[in-house]
Amino acid sequence: MFSFTKEQKVFNISGISIGGQPGMYPTVLFGGLFFKGEPDFDDGKRHLLTIFECSKQTGVPVIPDFFIRKVEYIQPILSFIEKAIPKKHPFSIDIIEPSIKIQTLEQLARRKLLPRTIYNSIHIGITKEETEALRTYTPETAIIVAFNPKDKSPDGKIEVLENGAHLLEIGLLEITRQIGIEKVLIDTAALAPGENSGAAIAAIPVIKEEYGLPTGCAIHNVVEKSRWLNDFPFAKKTVDVASNNAIPLFGGDYSIFGPIQNAELVVPLVAWQDILVSEYTENYFGISPITSHPRRKLLK
Amino acid sequence: MTDDYYPWGGEFTACSPQGCVAVVLLNIQYNPPKNVAIYGSLKTENIGIEKIIANTISNPFIRFLIICGDEIKGHCSGSSLVALHRNGIDRNNRIINAPGAIPYIENLKEEAIKRFQAQINVIDLIGKKEKEKINDIIADCTRKSPPSFGEPYIAIRLKPAATINLTDNRALHSRIIIDYLGKVKKRGT
Repeated sequence: MFSFTKEQKVFNISGISIGGQPGMYPTVLFGGLFFKGEPDFDDGKRHLLTIFECSKQTGVPVIPDFFIRKVEYIQPILSFIEKAIPKKHPFSIDIIEPSIKIQTLEQLARRKLLPRTIYNSIHIGITKEETEALRTYTPETAIIVAFNPKDKSPDGKIEVLENGAHLLEIGLLEITRQIGIEKVLIDTAALAPGENSGAAIAAIPVIKEEYGLPTGCAIHNVVEKSRWLNDFPFAKKTVDVASNNAIPLFGGDYSIFGPIQNAELVVPLVAWQDILVSEYTENYFGISPITSHPRRKLLK
Repeated sequence: MTDDYYPWGGEFTACSPQGCVAVVLLNIQYNPPKNVAIYGSLKTENIGIEKIIANTISNPFIRFLIICGDEIKGHCSGSSLVALHRNGIDRNNRIINAPGAIPYIENLKEEAIKRFQAQINVIDLIGKKEKEKINDIIADCTRKSPPSFGEPYIAIRLKPAATINLTDNRALHSRIIIDYLGKVKKRGT
């Protein structure tokens, strides 16, 4: 459990606070929808109700992360967002293909959703067209993925943020600044076992001390890619859920925990971890949690 | 056997060590016949491709690489692999004319890529999912029975046993100092 010397930024993203010294704000959890097949909106609505209920009970803030795989899914998913999540609540859009990213940005602007949007994500594959689209239709917040294919260590991750690691002319932080996105979350790029998977966790305190920006990752990706765990299906689920604990333990601010179906397991688990962190950081560093923190909510 | 022939672990199945065919599975549920040398899935257009290169040129008996199944959305990993074989990489290590989002080869020497281009014939079946058709093409390649390419090329070698090589014995990372109670400070400030 840590406290940082560098001043830590806290962003208010449409009502959810993220960042700061460990122990003050609860870990923010991103739960993903529509990863596979056609979007099932009835199923999605059920899971959203569950995750919001878990959040209400524990005090752990949650943000739905919508995976948009095909152009034809843009409109129905955005309509679903308008209807199924509380007005003003933030959400993230998770898109791989640049052309779909651009079209989605246009539609988000048309629907006036950009102030609630977390753009997931900006990385070294950013194209000129994508940069232009982001300048025209600028979301409130962006996740920057510090993936450096050459150097997967914390230093390599800082290099892509700082100077583009010779893959880009300037660093990802400067690109994002020039676009005009002010609220930035750093994703430390969790890679498969064998690819310095531990660096995603070790990089959290390093990057927070370097930049003071909210930092986290999708550590569950490492579990998903641990093929040997397929021989232990019961344990695999446990490991998948438990992996999220490493993020608050290393001072991180958010976790992208994978399919929203795991919300009932992940949300209470992270609430438990947040309480643990808060007890130490208040006792030693004098950092008191906000009133909605799980420690205040669950320990009366 | 797997470790001897294929130095970089991943989601693959090693079959016949002297088979001449390797099969890359994109979006497809399919188990190739057991006379192929190796088969496995490809997800990413950077590290995934690097692993395929390392784990094919390490076995000189492999002379054909069949890429099948629907393309991976966004990553375009299959087409990026075809582009690498055809065009190589530019001075920024980007695969020339690759359609993927982040198609960079950063962990292999150019020599390894040249070896891959020389040793391997890529058979582009991207978009094809009919198992019988893929089986027929594997059988055609196997019948050709090309000779071994010669010596294995080991692009990456994982350390075979536990070793300690401490270059930094400070807590967590050289950029920061963590005191015994958990206060983090940037080193040198």
